[in-house]
Amino acid sequence: MVMINNKVKIKTTNLNVYYGDKQALNDVNLEIHSKEVTALIGPSGCGKSTYIRCINRMNDVIDICRVTGSIEIDGNEINKKEIDVVSLREKIGMVFQKPNPFPKSIYDNVSYGPNIHGLAENKVKMDEIVETSLKKAALWNEVKDRLNEPGTSLSGGQQQRLCIARAISVNPEVILMDEPCSALDPIATAKIEELMDELKKSYTIVIVTHSMSQAVRVSQRTGFFHLGKLIEVDTTEKIFKNPNNKMTQDYITGRFG
Amino acid sequence: MNLAIIVLIVLFSISSFFFARTKVKKIAISNQTKLNALPDYYGFYLSLWCALPALLILIVWTIFEPSIIKAFIFQGISGENAQTYNNSELNLIYQQIKSFHFGYFTGTITEEIIRGAESYKSFLSIAQGSKIVLLATIIIFTTLYALKKILNNNKAREDVEKIFKGLLFVCSLVAILTTIGIIFALLFESIKFFSVINIFDFLFGTSWSPQRAFVRDASTITAEEYADLKNAFGTVPLFAGTAFIALIAMIVAVPIGLFSGIYMAEYANTKVRKYSKPIIEILAGIPTVVYGFFAALTVGPFFREIGEKFGLEVSSESALAAGLVMGVMIIPYISSLSDDVINAVPQSLRDGSYAIGATKSETIKRVVFPAALPGIVGSVLLAVSRAIGETMIVVMAAGLAANLTLNPLESTTTITTQIVMILVGDQEFDSPKTQSAFALGLTLFFATLVLNYIALRVVKKYREKYE
Repeated sequence: MVMINNKVKIKTTNLNVYYGDKQALNDVNLEIHSKEVTALIGPSGCGKSTYIRCINRMNDVIDICRVTGSIEIDGNEINKKEIDVVSLREKIGMVFQKPNPFPKSIYDNVSYGPNIHGLAENKVKMDEIVETSLKKAALWNEVKDRLNEPGTSLSGGQQQRLCIARAISVNPEVILMDEPCSALDPIATAKIEELMDELKKSYTIVIVTHSMSQAVRVSQRTGFFHLGKLIEVDTTEKIFKNPNNKMTQDYITGRFG
Repeated sequence: MNLAIIVLIVLFSISSFFFARTKVKKIAISNQTKLNALPDYYGFYLSLWCALPALLILIVWTIFEPSIIKAFIFQGISGENAQTYNNSELNLIYQQIKSFHFGYFTGTITEEIIRGAESYKSFLSIAQGSKIVLLATIIIFTTLYALKKILNNNKAREDVEKIFKGLLFVCSLVAILTTIGIIFALLFESIKFFSVINIFDFLFGTSWSPQRAFVRDASTITAEEYADLKNAFGTVPLFAGTAFIALIAMIVAVPIGLFSGIYMAEYANTKVRKYSKPIIEILAGIPTVVYGFFAALTVGPFFREIGEKFGLEVSSESALAAGLVMGVMIIPYISSLSDDVINAVPQSLRDGSYAIGATKSETIKRVVFPAALPGIVGSVLLAVSRAIGETMIVVMAAGLAANLTLNPLESTTTITTQIVMILVGDQEFDSPKTQSAFALGLTLFFATLVLNYIALRVVKKYREKYE
């Protein structure tokens, strides 16, 4: 039994993705609930990352990629030509596997988004946005005295939190995280997980992860992908305690993948 | 003769490779020991030891042989003659002796020359003999040394590695020493020049007409003559002309090159890029002479015609035509290099920018371009040095008159062009006119050096390091 006590934020219906001739996603029907953390798990190459890159249309960047089916956000179809990807991506932030701060100062990294979208009318407002974003990303205390230093001078964990601050600086509704902790040590990982707990109060979060324990720790719902298909999606508790599908059971107990 | 020696050395070296290889294999089998390296390495080791020292000695010998023989001949001439010769007379006699020896001497044959030729001949054969003995001894010693090492099962793999390291070092040393040599040659000739012409008159004088300088001996110049001379060697018009033409070229090449580089790296799909990049690079392969006559015969007259329609006076050899064509020539340097450096900017940075809702051009302007800036400045710098050093186009299209002008429609000239004009034809090497070419070269060298240094500092200050 799936409990639907939450509003559906993102809904994909019959989503298919092709890279050239190769099909990467096969009829994925998935609902992602508002202000929750949804974890996507599955073996490498199963299509989890491809799936979240559909939500903010990042697959557009890849020439040979073709996406069919429906993706709705708050009931509005976004998988169509007319949609403005720029304002879509303003609403749907993304954090990548490897921290990718711009080679600019910490301040400029965070102010980048508000700057191009014109969210701050003056310097005071911009300072405010930068400060709140960094605070929300739990980085403010560590960097408040060195905002002019390059973002690349931070440690890996700090860089990833800077990227999170950059993503939330434009006040998105959804944050997509593509294995955000895979390049980080356990302490930095713990900090990011803690942060996600805090962030889910205001944002809808979708996280791709290879760590089953991380999925258990941070998510409320979990979807299991295998070979481009969504095998099972349910509350995290159900998936990890009593999954319906044998394949899910095998994967979470480490029998394959 | 030298060729035969080299062939012999190489043949010996090749055969020693096979000899060593089979030898160590046999030893390994008969002694039941494990070799420290693959048999090939023992082969390489022996053949390198056999060939390299001998070849090195041969090169050194070939370089120094003529001057040593010359010294002996000089001694012979001065020794047996009561008459004392000065250096240039000695040189002349030496040349006569040499040409007599090789059988193409025309002129009065003196007793001195015949005797000289005889001793030249004997010196040559002595040199030949001792060279062969020396080389043979060296080969025998080095080969025996290496053979002994091999038979002791040395670590041939590491040793060959060391030899190669040494070889690479020697090659880079040659490159560096040659550069230093060129700089010193420039420097010495320039010092001679500056002993006649005051360096300040050279750098800040505004009139350039070196053909006026007939003076040969610096010590005989009167103050009056010098006043005239210093007006012959003022380089300001040349530097101004060089900078002006380079500027016109850069105004053409930087925007077009940079934007086409950005287009190819960021917007063009793989197919377009695959074909357009080589096509643009073909531009870089066109000889500059071809650009030169294109500028002189097509572009120059075209500008003159257009100018005449508007009632402007356009010289058919104009700075504009030369600069424009030079700019076209430089485009591929900038576009191809900036395309490469833009491609080297990690995709993850672009993804980060797109993911936050930036458009392609915003991403390029704010993220990709600053990250690629050092490389782009590097490519522009390379282009500037090309523009400053370019000679042929200017010779053909911009004229030779050293006008101090800012009018792009007039003819002007550059440093390199003037160096060509000075050194074309027969020259006396002790006249200030000829020496001024070296001074110009040196000044140009320093100007480029300072330019590069400043640009590197600027880049260091403003670059956005992505790694």
